[in-house]
Amino acid sequence: MTIETSNQCMTAAAAKALLQQGLSCQVNSDLPPQFQVGDLVRARVVHPATYTRLPRYVRGKVGTVMQDHGVYVFPDTVGQLLATKPQHVYSVRFPAQALWGPAAPASDALYLDLFDDHLEGP
Amino acid sequence: MTTHHHRPESEIALRVKAIESLLVEKGIVDPAALDTIIEHYEHQVGPHVGAQIVAKAWVDPDFKRRLLADGTGAIAELGLTGFSSEHMIVVANTATVHNLIVCTLCSCYPWAILGLPPTWYKSLAYRSRAVIEPRSVLAEFGLVLPDTVEVCVWDSNADLRYLVLPERPDGAEGLSEEALAALVTRNAMIGTAKVEPPTSPTPIAA
Repeated sequence: MTIETSNQCMTAAAAKALLQQGLSCQVNSDLPPQFQVGDLVRARVVHPATYTRLPRYVRGKVGTVMQDHGVYVFPDTVGQLLATKPQHVYSVRFPAQALWGPAAPASDALYLDLFDDHLEGP
Repeated sequence: MTTHHHRPESEIALRVKAIESLLVEKGIVDPAALDTIIEHYEHQVGPHVGAQIVAKAWVDPDFKRRLLADGTGAIAELGLTGFSSEHMIVVANTATVHNLIVCTLCSCYPWAILGLPPTWYKSLAYRSRAVIEPRSVLAEFGLVLPDTVEVCVWDSNADLRYLVLPERPDGAEGLSEEALAALVTRNAMIGTAKVEPPTSPTPIAA
């Protein structure tokens, strides 16, 4: 399955509308989430040669789901003009020490927005 | 008569011109659409939009509550949403929490709220260092935070865009919403600065 894109030239009116209205990546869907707020999750250890929104520095690290942002199209496949593959996106909190080791301040944290396909159980 | 030689245009400017004329000649890009986009970012959006949101949150506790609970909805109330700010999360700085925004994968930024990102925000140095050593980066911006403050770094790696709600400075009690907005800087809304108190005009004579 591939995504067809238009080759039509954008008009000034279309540009204005796009700037004002934006382009939503969210999908109305009743797709059940794979994870719940409060769950411990591990970012998958994968190294795709293609486009991904899973930063390398977080792969294999464990964090906590803080919020479910809802269902969004999956840039990792959309970026290759493959399926939109809608799925839940979560705000996941990683303690700085989980990412950078004991020299990092114990209080500090890093938040990433990760998709279902980026995550697995701890 | 002496011929004046202008400094040659930079390589990137020439490259952009070459690509633009190719795209226009091939009918892929309409120059009027390009002008619309450039005019929008040169004259309409910029940090003043974010500053307006921050000032409203400072004077209106109900709006602040909505802004932190649903950034997208609260910003839409003001009619200030737009491209690359479709899904907004607003994070509040407090006496014990300091937030910093980065995009490690590219340079995602709330364009409709803050305009186009500054060059340093797009630099490899900022993007890589802000996550691993945020306190050192902040210190280089002149902001040294005590150990009692928790530093939270937000990597805009997906489709959500972030805005920092800075702390309202002391000494700004009597100011109008408009005067408060004038205190709010772009860097304070990225998290690399605090909002400074208003400075009194220097008296001409003692």
